[in-house]
Amino acid sequence: MAGLGYRREMADWDMSLVLADFFEVAPENWIRRDRSPLHRLRASGRPVHLHGVSLNLGGDSAIDHSFLRDVRALMDELGTIRYSDHLAASGDAHQLYDLFPIPFTKQEVQRVGDRIRQVQDVLGQQIAIENSTWYTNIGDIPEPDFLGAVAEWADCGVLLDLNNIVVNYKNHGQHSLQEFVARVDLTRVSYIHVAGHEFDARFELFIDTHSETVEEQTMTMARQLQRTHGLQVLLEWDNDVPSMDTLNQELTCLTPFMTT
Amino acid sequence: MSNAFYDYVRGRSETVPAGYTLAGLRAYRYLVYLGASQMVEANFPSLREQLGEQAWRLLIEGFVRQSAWTSPYYGDLHHEFIAYLGRESTDTHA
Repeated sequence: MAGLGYRREMADWDMSLVLADFFEVAPENWIRRDRSPLHRLRASGRPVHLHGVSLNLGGDSAIDHSFLRDVRALMDELGTIRYSDHLAASGDAHQLYDLFPIPFTKQEVQRVGDRIRQVQDVLGQQIAIENSTWYTNIGDIPEPDFLGAVAEWADCGVLLDLNNIVVNYKNHGQHSLQEFVARVDLTRVSYIHVAGHEFDARFELFIDTHSETVEEQTMTMARQLQRTHGLQVLLEWDNDVPSMDTLNQELTCLTPFMTT
Repeated sequence: MSNAFYDYVRGRSETVPAGYTLAGLRAYRYLVYLGASQMVEANFPSLREQLGEQAWRLLIEGFVRQSAWTSPYYGDLHHEFIAYLGRESTDTHA
């Protein structure tokens, strides 16, 4: 089985029928809210991990210690050691509630790596950083090498998002899924994300919408990495959340065929 | 990343900073606009209809252009919006 990003839209669902064996939520969506749905998931014997959006690792704002203390408390409450955010900016010195590219430069490796270290110092543990979708960026370091160099500098984990690799390849043509994965230190990878995306003709770009089924090449790579490296896979479906049947079908497809 | 990148994204400038593509910057500007528009609409459900599409777009664009949001919580955007409306009406009546 695979994991699933849990959404508030699923509040009325009988989650015992959802074929996921772990879940992930954005701490930003739950810190100041009723968390009983998350405790029900936990009570069903399935872990709930945290995947955030607002750390602004690539931005200029001071690392928000008060927010991180709230995240720490939520991790303890949910009994999880897994917390990740994006190798991206969520603004400059301020928040803009989206994810923006970090220039692929040596200077940024060290600056952002130091910010991740600060986060880890406040939390008292490692986090993981997700390779993100970007629609335009600058810098001369190839993206997988940039990801690896930041993770090395910060000594943090990597949340490997296969869909983001595919979206970036379709938009920029630099690293195919196979080429990118081959350049990642898989021993740093905490788990894997998959999702779907859409083409937006207004910008002539594929946009990382998390609103579609997962492509076959992404599915295949996810199953392969589970088999060969024991890496868990989580499905993100954040917009136009489909029926439980559709989600269960996707989750089943993500599970490698068992050979006994 | 340069201030020029975020100036474009917020709609403060039409200058594409060196090395970036216009299409990519337009996508980022649109995504930020969409995020602001959706959260304001969720909190003030009748406002968009009352204003009409053009006035709504100008209002949200103005809200994004002057933004200096600090909360890690996207849901706090409606407080920022109320504060923005307060500043705007003070300016208008000054």
